[in-house]
Amino acid sequence: MFKRFRSLFRVLTGRRDFEDGMTEELRFHIQQYTEDLVRSGISPEEASRRARMEFGGVNSVKGECREARGLPLFDELERELRYAVRLLRKSPGFTITALLTLALCFGANLTIFAAIDSILLRPLPFPEANRLVTIFNTYPKAGVDRDGSSLTNYYERRGRIPAFSSLSIYRFRTAIVGEPGSTKREQITQISPEFFTTLGVGPAIGRPFREQETTYKTDGVAILTDAYWRQHFNADPQVIGRQIRVDDFPKTVIGVLPPGFRFLSSESELYLPLSSRPEDRAPSQRHSGGNVTQMIARLKAGATLSQAQSQIDAQNATLEMDDPQAKMMAEAGFRSLVVPLHADHVAAIRPVLLLLQAGVLALLLIGAVNLANLLLIRASNRVKELAVRQALGASRRYVISEVIVETTLLTLTGGVLGLALGAGGIRLLAALGADRLPLGSHIAFDARLAWVALAAAIVMGLALAAPIAWFNLRRDLGNSLQSETRGGTTGRAAQALRHTFIVAQIALSFVLLAGAGLLGLSLKRAMAVSPGFRADHVLTGQISLVGKKYPAASAGLAFTERLVNELRRQPGVSSAGVVNNVPFSGKSGKSAATVKGYVIRPGESPRGHYSYGVAGDYFHAMGFSLREGRFLTGADSRRRERVCVVDEDFARYYWPHTSPLGHLLFQGSAAGPDSEAFTVVGVVGSTKQAGLTDDAAQGAVYYPYIYRPDSNIFVAVRASARSESLRLTLQKVVRQLDPELAVNDIQSMDDRIAASLVTRRSPALLAALFSGIALLLTAIGTYGVLSYAVAQRRREIGVRMALGARPEQIRSQFFAIALRLLSIGMIAGVFGAWLTGHAMQAVLFHVPAFDVATLALAAGIMGAVSLVASLLPCHRAARISPMEAIADR
Amino acid sequence: MGKTADLLPGTLDMLILKAVSLKPLHGYGVLLRIQQISGDALEIPQGSLYPALYRLEHQDLISSEWGQSENNRRAKYYTLTAAGRRRLREETAGWNRLASAIAAALNTTSGEV
Repeated sequence: MFKRFRSLFRVLTGRRDFEDGMTEELRFHIQQYTEDLVRSGISPEEASRRARMEFGGVNSVKGECREARGLPLFDELERELRYAVRLLRKSPGFTITALLTLALCFGANLTIFAAIDSILLRPLPFPEANRLVTIFNTYPKAGVDRDGSSLTNYYERRGRIPAFSSLSIYRFRTAIVGEPGSTKREQITQISPEFFTTLGVGPAIGRPFREQETTYKTDGVAILTDAYWRQHFNADPQVIGRQIRVDDFPKTVIGVLPPGFRFLSSESELYLPLSSRPEDRAPSQRHSGGNVTQMIARLKAGATLSQAQSQIDAQNATLEMDDPQAKMMAEAGFRSLVVPLHADHVAAIRPVLLLLQAGVLALLLIGAVNLANLLLIRASNRVKELAVRQALGASRRYVISEVIVETTLLTLTGGVLGLALGAGGIRLLAALGADRLPLGSHIAFDARLAWVALAAAIVMGLALAAPIAWFNLRRDLGNSLQSETRGGTTGRAAQALRHTFIVAQIALSFVLLAGAGLLGLSLKRAMAVSPGFRADHVLTGQISLVGKKYPAASAGLAFTERLVNELRRQPGVSSAGVVNNVPFSGKSGKSAATVKGYVIRPGESPRGHYSYGVAGDYFHAMGFSLREGRFLTGADSRRRERVCVVDEDFARYYWPHTSPLGHLLFQGSAAGPDSEAFTVVGVVGSTKQAGLTDDAAQGAVYYPYIYRPDSNIFVAVRASARSESLRLTLQKVVRQLDPELAVNDIQSMDDRIAASLVTRRSPALLAALFSGIALLLTAIGTYGVLSYAVAQRRREIGVRMALGARPEQIRSQFFAIALRLLSIGMIAGVFGAWLTGHAMQAVLFHVPAFDVATLALAAGIMGAVSLVASLLPCHRAARISPMEAIADR
Repeated sequence: MGKTADLLPGTLDMLILKAVSLKPLHGYGVLLRIQQISGDALEIPQGSLYPALYRLEHQDLISSEWGQSENNRRAKYYTLTAAGRRRLREETAGWNRLASAIAAALNTTSGEV
């Protein structure tokens, strides 16, 4: 076996050497012999002649030598390759069309596959990553599908759930990192001590966090990522023990993570302990996850997800027995769900990616069908040549392998072009926002993709060869040698095959077109949704009020007041305000509010509402509409007024028949004394928080900032002219007020809304692109097949015209063929589009599976393209000159 | 030049092995050596020599190396490998057995039947 490989290797690598050596060796022989003959007294010319004659044909000797050396297969392959290259070069039009088709189809598929591979298929970069799970609390009946896990959950669960070998929590947040004067806002992750144990990857230098480092007094430690270590510490191996400043507090570096460590899609470069006070861990905080703190765990070897789930359920049931909130949580449908970490992380994007892959696979199929048709037509043109060669002794095996070599050569070249296109496609994906998808920045062009391309190209080559080989072999030799230009009955079978292919192509293109139409319509409907405020001319940015200067809400309030006053004085600013969370920020935590006097009906669940703390002229700045009463202003916070504003959804839910003004409500899930209640002083229009397509009317309450302070605030500025021009103003004002603070994430509200639509817009754009290519391919296919039909029946047309047929009759005859194919294809396509629409329901917004207008539009486009493509061949048929056609042999 | 005989099928390989067993030779040298050791009795078709050489090399019975010829030209020299030596021994023994058997058969007189 080894010997065979070695000789194969030698043959493949030393081919040129071998040929040169052989030539030299044979030449040496003939020269030596000639010289010997001359020496024996023969004239040089005669000697040379005799030497050559006695030696025999050098080329045939060479051939025998090659064969004797073994592996004649490769010589045969080379011969066939050369033949295939010659054939392809002889018809550049066909070759270029075929290669372009393949490059487009492979390129599109490889691009989408690269995304699917990186996002859905590859396991997370941790050992036995399939055992990692996440656990989150859900209160579906309160409209809160996901609320993370609380610190209490963590302390109650760790070590007590037998199915888990390790359990930990983490929290993503931003922090101001660096010395005063050169600070930067960084993504950081706060983690419980066993976080790295759970993941199975720990620090490469130093140690993980310890249990005693989880209180505020003892948490002055940090672990760096490899990237941060290289960038800020020059990869200093003595980094352990050095200090960095985070949110104005010193942290001692105790570890550095290995290169390439990345937790899910996190950009964090710093890991800090998740410290807390004992009261944060108390049973009363059990339901205070707020979707900020998340839990992960590692299943023990052999333990299953359902075991873990039932153990969590059992523990929850036990804990609820002496929980005063238990009844309310049960009514809210409370459960803690255990789900696989990877699947959960990519759940939202999965259907979109699979849909796109289905779309490009359809495109590949269309391309393949197109190529098969073009190849079939070519094979028909070569019927006689092949028949002659078969008659001269070309074996069936030879005919088949020749076809396979040709199609595989085409598909492999197309595959290489497709890879190049795919590399560009991956960049296009990034431009379309794929790097903002979960795990989206992992999308890479690598060897794995190249292997997939190679395998796909070979499979495609074989698949294309099948119908051609069938066509070449099933012909009756004598018949095709005798027949004129048409191949008798076999011609009819081949024609049926070609027509079937065209119908399939039309149907698939129609499905793609309809699918793209549905996605486009869905995007249009999503964009038509009003966010509930005037998003134009609003610039927003985030500021972190951290560090020793802002220990309390009052200090934060003082800053917001100064900020709003200063901003209002700037030219171009018409109003400014502050809020703890702007709409479309990507954060959407909900919390409870209790309306005084409202009795929960039997079976009704408590509801989670969006709760905001606002300061300054937030409502004016954002362009909210006032329905009743008044807006909140900065004065409310300053005077500590216990007032609030609710939105229409909230008002409609609790006071469907009366005005909410003057009613009392409490923050949290329990009523208290009236002195702690907030009086409703205004009603504003409802706004979207999570996204335009978020249909849940969840209700919102706006409190004065002082009663709902946050160390992370958003500032909103309404510009009198273009909002972008205020970017610098905003930064300058903040720096003047406090040089240590920075504004980040500065974006206009229009941009935030546009960004929130990226998972709808990008797929729609891609689908439109794919269906455009599909249309083009179908047009090429229709044109090719009809042109061939016309060329094939040239003489028949000539005869009929000579006998009195009018050009219009000929034209309409071919047009009828085109129409028949089109209509059969469309009928199949409509059925396919209906199925596709159903399969797409998960990613559609307010669009039915069977949207008649979209289908009609798709049919119109499809019909127009297909008919235009058939016009030219039909026209050409009608212009055939009978004299020439009949005379033309 | 005396009378020449055509080669029996399968004997060319054996003769080549024998020729290169004496000393490394280039292709033309093999031809001359076979003619020499057979006392010019065997006529080798020149064209069939090289395929046989390549076949034997592929079977690892002989190996080749480029070197200088007597008149200082580049030539490919063939030497016998260990496997070739073994094969030559077997073939020689086989041939001798066959030859003596055939000779014995052909020398049989009517009285011995």
